Amino acid sequence: MKRVFVELDKCLGCHSCMIACAVEHSSTKDLFTAVYEKPLPRARIEVKAGKEGSNFPLQCRHCEEPYCVDACIAGAIRKDVKTGLVLADEEKCVGCWMCVMVCPFGVIRPSLLVGKQEKTAVRCDLCQDREIPACVEACPTGALFFGEIEDFKKAVSSRARREGNALSNNR
Amino acid sequence: MHYLIIGNCAAGINAIEGIRKLDGSGEITVVSDEDFPAYCRCLITDYVAGTRKKEDLLYREKDFYEKNKVNLILGERVNKVDISRKEIILQSGKKLSYDRLLVATGASPKPLGIKGEEKYGVFGFRTLRDADEIIKLADETRKAVIFGGGLIGLKAAYGLKKRGVDVQVMVKSPRILSQVVDTQAAEIIGKWLQENGISIRTGVAPEEILGDKEVEEVRLDNGEKIPARLVIVGKGVRCNTSLVEDSPIKVHWGILADDFLQTNIEGVFVAGDVAETKDLVFDRNEVNALWTAACEQGRIAGMNMVEKVKKYPGSIGANSADFFGLAFISVGYVRVREEGYEELIRSNPQEYRYKKVVLKNNIMVGFTVINNIENAGVYTALIRKKADISSVKDILLEDYLDYPKVKDLLEEKEGLRESVSMEGEIIKIA
Amino acid sequence: MNKKEKRSIDKASQFMLERAEKECILTAWDRYEAMQPQCGFGRLGICCRICNMGPCRIDPFSEEEQTGICGATADTIVARNLGRMVAGGAAAHSDHGRDITHALLLAAEGKTDAYTIKDEVKLKKLAKEYGVKVEGRGKEEIAKELAEKIMEEFGRQHGYIKMPFRAPKKRVKVWEELGIMPRGIDREIVEMMHRTHIGVDTDYKNILMHGFRTALSDGWGGSMVATDLSDILFRSPTPILGRVNLGTLSRDEVNVVVHGHEPTLSDVVVYAARDPEIVKLAKEKGAKGINLVGICCTANEILMRHGIPVAGNFLQQELAILTGAVDLMMVDVQCIMPALSTVASSFHTKLVTTSPKNKAPGVTHVEFREEEAYDIAKKILKMAIENFPNRNGDILIPEHNQDLVAGFTAENIYNFLGGTYRATYRPLNDAIIQGRLRGLAGVVGCNNPKITHNYAHVEMAKELIKNDVLVVVTGCSAIADAEAELLRPEVAFKYAGKGLQEICEAVGIPPVLHVGSCVDNSRILIALTNVILEGGLGEDISDLPVAGAAPEWMSEKAVSIAFYFVASGVFTVLGMPFPILGSKNVTNFLCSEVENILGGKFAFESDPIKAAHLMIEHIDKKRKALKLRPLMYQ
Repeated sequence: MKRVFVELDKCLGCHSCMIACAVEHSSTKDLFTAVYEKPLPRARIEVKAGKEGSNFPLQCRHCEEPYCVDACIAGAIRKDVKTGLVLADEEKCVGCWMCVMVCPFGVIRPSLLVGKQEKTAVRCDLCQDREIPACVEACPTGALFFGEIEDFKKAVSSRARREGNALSNNR
Repeated sequence: MHYLIIGNCAAGINAIEGIRKLDGSGEITVVSDEDFPAYCRCLITDYVAGTRKKEDLLYREKDFYEKNKVNLILGERVNKVDISRKEIILQSGKKLSYDRLLVATGASPKPLGIKGEEKYGVFGFRTLRDADEIIKLADETRKAVIFGGGLIGLKAAYGLKKRGVDVQVMVKSPRILSQVVDTQAAEIIGKWLQENGISIRTGVAPEEILGDKEVEEVRLDNGEKIPARLVIVGKGVRCNTSLVEDSPIKVHWGILADDFLQTNIEGVFVAGDVAETKDLVFDRNEVNALWTAACEQGRIAGMNMVEKVKKYPGSIGANSADFFGLAFISVGYVRVREEGYEELIRSNPQEYRYKKVVLKNNIMVGFTVINNIENAGVYTALIRKKADISSVKDILLEDYLDYPKVKDLLEEKEGLRESVSMEGEIIKIA
Repeated sequence: MNKKEKRSIDKASQFMLERAEKECILTAWDRYEAMQPQCGFGRLGICCRICNMGPCRIDPFSEEEQTGICGATADTIVARNLGRMVAGGAAAHSDHGRDITHALLLAAEGKTDAYTIKDEVKLKKLAKEYGVKVEGRGKEEIAKELAEKIMEEFGRQHGYIKMPFRAPKKRVKVWEELGIMPRGIDREIVEMMHRTHIGVDTDYKNILMHGFRTALSDGWGGSMVATDLSDILFRSPTPILGRVNLGTLSRDEVNVVVHGHEPTLSDVVVYAARDPEIVKLAKEKGAKGINLVGICCTANEILMRHGIPVAGNFLQQELAILTGAVDLMMVDVQCIMPALSTVASSFHTKLVTTSPKNKAPGVTHVEFREEEAYDIAKKILKMAIENFPNRNGDILIPEHNQDLVAGFTAENIYNFLGGTYRATYRPLNDAIIQGRLRGLAGVVGCNNPKITHNYAHVEMAKELIKNDVLVVVTGCSAIADAEAELLRPEVAFKYAGKGLQEICEAVGIPPVLHVGSCVDNSRILIALTNVILEGGLGEDISDLPVAGAAPEWMSEKAVSIAFYFVASGVFTVLGMPFPILGSKNVTNFLCSEVENILGGKFAFESDPIKAAHLMIEHIDKKRKALKLRPLMYQ
């Protein structure tokens, strides 16, 4: 299944992905109005600080064996057999935070959504309405990649080859 | 191959899915003593509160049983399990045979054990039937008394308060949540609940239920008489093991499960609230009657019923709740009573924030967090992994303790569950 | 190492950090963690917000050379951003200089009783420099004309400002030939803003050369004015004993903290605090008296001149309030964290802003006007006294405090080096020539949560003095070293190399000399000039075996200071790079090429020991070029 991957050394921690994600999940889908919406839209990807000052963008991994699916007391989280997506039915969610309690990546966030009184658990939904997720499109260095795991590996190795060639050309 | 499952809730449904993962054709029969298809028991609170309708409580889609080719028998109790004949005997007298059996009968609320509790108006807080009765009576009386300061009692109180009912929680211990969190955390949660209109009295226990056929009053152990027409009992649960009592299946508090969730009898498996399994944190067996444990056990037991493929890593005591916007999560060993444990605490009661981590030799064995719950799952993973947290000990209580800071402690080649990392690697994650 | 040890090496600060954590009060360190990760575009300097076609950023990983929408390359964007930092820093220093000039004018015109002319000798010396007649005139008359002439330097439109001509002739020639002699103190800042406006200067070298000019208008301009006129108005410092650190706060006296930069405020408060009316009032409220302490550069000003205790440096400002013992903190300008009002709200501490240039929402403002300086100072002190009985909660003052010697200036080195017979730099020069002293180093600048508080300053100073380099310090760096007891003469026997030990013993000085506040970095420029003038160590500052460093820099002022030292020919090492690494050309220019034209260059090294050795290598290189004797003891 297509997922979002990252070339960590290209991430500059600018948080553009977070802004794009929040705007994409807002009502008005426009930056200038999204920042005034009530409730404020929440990003589902977060650029976290790794060890030794590295930057680590992180969102739902759509695990093969998700902990959250077992934990959901409302049966709202399911792994779609066909697409592989681990998706939450935000209507069904009752905000019990069992999924937050078990997710080893810490990528599920309590958030206020339009039309619901209490907070809902939200996570990356790989932008089902778009061809390419908003975060990937917004990344200014191309650190984020959307595709199958094999395609990602190919892209990484061809970049390594290009840079290796460039280095040897410069000698 | 005929798979027979007794119990149609979290464990039962996940067992069906587990079986179907490996065997698409074998016959599956499910027997349940409730009248409703599998529903989310924990959502009783929201149902009583009025924020969820009955249809919303269904655990799977309406056509789940059809799609998975399951023969569903509702409204039937299982009286006995006959191991030698590989048969179960229903209350109606009917007999069903099996090749593989899963006992997922769950647990039932512990009674108060006092005179008069059979009167009408005293309910547990577990089944849909309980909920319907409670709603009927609550809308009439607009008042309720709840005995029990654990999560069940508090969730009952919360649901009813949201419905607009006046609630009074009565706790025998000096504090609420005495089995879930420590004293400091309980104080913070208790204060928040009281400020939001849930009245809590500690140090009192009921002695007798008074009234004719219906509850009218409760006499407490201090002599006081409380008028009450609706009484809810949240004093824990007891495993439903009666059906295997006369059989050679080994029972302790619950039915004993091995690493593959099989009982001591070959071909008979157990999962859910009725199961007593290895506990990940403590060095002993436990009944961790939690929805998430039941789901995982059900699925693994189901798979093992087809072919013994998966070991069950063990259950872990883990609870989360949200009351009026205050979220709290508590996992593992937090009410420290023994030597040899280290507690790291950050407490800010004015802002209703609390974080505690319990360590033994720098291995995480438990944590509690009130508000700021965002990275709670990372702590749970550290507990599951029994990771040595020395390298991050100085930032362990920070809100910015997150996955990237501990990923080298959590990922491994052989492990618990499979996922795909941000860097494009297939990983096993705790 | 636990968290508090990672945050600061100073025990008093660690003690307060523990309290902050326990009581869930956030400090700059917590806010720093919460800000991670910080944006790489900003850190590399390749984010441009100068016009509305933007904001633009350059992708540093792109294979093609990206530009901003106007066409600016990374080189231009980085240079423009850095140029504006120099301008910002120079503006702060020079505006401070302007305020002192204004105060001198008021004093000369008799418009205020708070300021009087205290150093007539320096007054007359400056007067001569500015062509102001001295014979037969009273000091006020001289001061008035001098102040007016110096005021003109700020708005000068023709020719050059005067003070840079104090530099060695060869150095002045370098500046003239490069076209970077500063023309007007305000003008250079204005021109930097102009040049960095959209569609003006594109050539990074051109921008940066103007950056050097702007910095010179600060170091040999605004800052030097501030130093000299402060000496005239408040007295020239002489070596003085003092105490430093949070332990200088008092349990039974009214603690008044003065924080910020301008001695026009702090110096007056020193006198007002001794006013019998004030002392009496304090005693009436149950206090033993007034305990006036300072934070940051204003603390250094009143330490140098009056021996007033210093409570702490930049990163300790919140920690002082955290003791619960600060009855009032008055602030003026620069390096004052907006967070202070939040921290103060957890205690009884009253926070008061005094400058019209620095107001904060919800914070009491008592505007300080020089004309009524003394009365306003008393008014604020009375507010502090009134607040003394309101001390609530636990007072937790760490017991740690250290004593120190401060008060060294370019002028008084003459006196105590030369001894009784003649004021001279000769012994200093001789020491360097003969190899008893390897050289001189200036270690200056701020604190920054990116580096363990005080760690880099102290470790660098220790490494340098171990290698017989005499170290001069200013600002927060001086306070850091004082807190590590390096400003005590005895410490020469513990940490200094043998050569430096001998000098310290002979003269009676510590191996690390506190020369004042950040504007007093100008004292170092004059000292270096005096060393050249004394002879035997080359003809230009760039010939000298000296180096500079700002190991924990934070502010734009530090950028300006670093720039004017390099422009003056001094090799300067910074503990963290400028935000320029997004442009290889700018980095190369500033860290390498510029040495060929200015005789000085920058280096970036975060390990203070390694940085010290970069400085030592440079000093040794200069010694070799001067053909000096080999070192006596190394």
